[in-house]
Amino acid sequence: MNAGKRNARDAALAGAAVEQSLAADHIPPASRKMLWRERIFKALLIVSLLVGMAVLAILVIDVLSDGLGTLNLSFLTSFPSAFPKNAGIESAITGSLWLMAICAFFVIPVGVAAAIYLEEFADRRRWWNRLIELNIQNLAAVPSIVYGILGLAYLVRGPLDLGRTVLAGGLTLGLLVLPVVVISSREALRAVPGSIREGAMGLGATRWQAIWYQVLPAAIPGISTGAILSLSRAIGETAPLIMVGAATFIAFNPTGLNSAFTALPLQIYNWLSSPQAEFKILAASAIIVLLMMLVAINSVAIIIRNRYEKKW
Amino acid sequence: MSPAHDDSTGTSTMDADANTPSPSHEPVHMQTPALNEHMTPKPEAAEKIFELTDVSVRYSGKLAVKDVTVGIGTKQITALIGASGCGKSTLLRCLNRMNDLIPGATVDGSVKYRGQDLYASNVDPVQVRKRIGMVFQKPNPFPKSIYDNIAFGPRVLGMNKDRNLDEIVENALTRASLWDEVKDRLDESAIGMSGGQQQRLCIARTIATNPQVILMDEPCSALDPISTSRIEDLMNELKEQFTIVVVTHNMQQAARVSDMTAYFTVEVAEDDKRYGRLVEFAETETIFTNPSDQRTEDYVTGKVG
Repeated sequence: MNAGKRNARDAALAGAAVEQSLAADHIPPASRKMLWRERIFKALLIVSLLVGMAVLAILVIDVLSDGLGTLNLSFLTSFPSAFPKNAGIESAITGSLWLMAICAFFVIPVGVAAAIYLEEFADRRRWWNRLIELNIQNLAAVPSIVYGILGLAYLVRGPLDLGRTVLAGGLTLGLLVLPVVVISSREALRAVPGSIREGAMGLGATRWQAIWYQVLPAAIPGISTGAILSLSRAIGETAPLIMVGAATFIAFNPTGLNSAFTALPLQIYNWLSSPQAEFKILAASAIIVLLMMLVAINSVAIIIRNRYEKKW
Repeated sequence: MSPAHDDSTGTSTMDADANTPSPSHEPVHMQTPALNEHMTPKPEAAEKIFELTDVSVRYSGKLAVKDVTVGIGTKQITALIGASGCGKSTLLRCLNRMNDLIPGATVDGSVKYRGQDLYASNVDPVQVRKRIGMVFQKPNPFPKSIYDNIAFGPRVLGMNKDRNLDEIVENALTRASLWDEVKDRLDESAIGMSGGQQQRLCIARTIATNPQVILMDEPCSALDPISTSRIEDLMNELKEQFTIVVVTHNMQQAARVSDMTAYFTVEVAEDDKRYGRLVEFAETETIFTNPSDQRTEDYVTGKVG
């Protein structure tokens, strides 16, 4: 159909539609142009979704085909080795778990407390509170390598002088995800209706009692979902750990906070930069393990969210 | 004092007898016998638990309600009625300093509770709210069990130290006539109850803290007529022990349950800003059958609003 014809038809359709809409007892037929527009729009949305899914699928299939062959129990329970067939990721897994635990132990109380202050106590008419809010939003977007430098300068060396320990690594990751935890906790607190606070305080509860006994418990599903998702981000980070000087060849599990450590992403990075092809295959196996850990962590978050979905 | 007030009617203002229980009323009634012919005898003027003098409330400088002077009787039900935006809820929330929770809210004038200024600098709003409880427009049970909803107040107030919490819960639910309906499911979530049950739970929750006054902000506006009538019955029973101040949009409700009624109206200032004013405060019977102000009459007879 040529353009002139189409315009003429559209004009006729539009005219008819106007006439018909004037007749109150008749519903005009749906405009074809509108229907097509809706279909094209929907198709675009699906294509965008497929782009993301396809990339993920290619990655997963590629990694699985490379790494599944060498993924076995002895791979999971061996330490790194100069010989590919002996090498494993036990110290990387335990290192990552240690990092996650330290990170959680630091970031959840601090992040939730900051969120409670900003959401429940801060007076938004004061410029400093608005400044803090703005800064937290910005911090969430700061590249992770910058946090690595911060960790190196202030945690590993500098004032705290913790050395290249798992504690310094965990705290650095904690700083990295702190803004995300603050923001998601604030959203969870904000989702608790004001009527709950009023109800509690109308009974003679103090502001703190209202928050501690009513608002916070109601917000815990949201807070934990956010916290778990930020931990899953922390566990996948490599750059800050390189900066704080985590070792890549550690043949023992962390023994304490002051222990040297490695982590899964670091082990993967190390193997991938090795010239031997066998190590690249081991890297693929380690990626599978890392992905499975991420899926497991995120599933916990989804389960918590669905289980405690609020019904007010 | 509101210009609408006119002492000669003998019904419109509470200022005159704020401190003295009854002196001025009878003689004034005698002067206007025709108006009072069909009225039932006036209940003994109750002792005042709240004395408000020239109370104005502003939200971030914007006037919400202006110069309210009113006295609220002990163990009476006082209804605040009027169109939307007339400041009746705002005024109610002054009575237990709930307005403190709204940033930028300021209260001028004096609000006295048993002779004590509620807004004095040494008064802790939490202590005020322990004595003056509140029930809200939309039922707002905590997302917890029925038992925990009732037990929360007594727990935070430390009442469970000298009394068994189970007893407090049963007692409160019984007095809110909810016990028989929920006694077998005390550990179920309050969110699963019907709207009317939730609101009675909220009343029970307030009763459990044993306050002196219960403020109710349109407690039935989200409920069906049957639940509404149950709550009204409940209010009548609770009146034996508590002073109740209720904001309502429902004039029939005010007429049915309240002893005293205050009618508020919206006034428009020169700069087109709207604020609420008290027009008339009198016995409910008077407000509905023989109001002294034309605006009140127009409102209660349904000519406006």
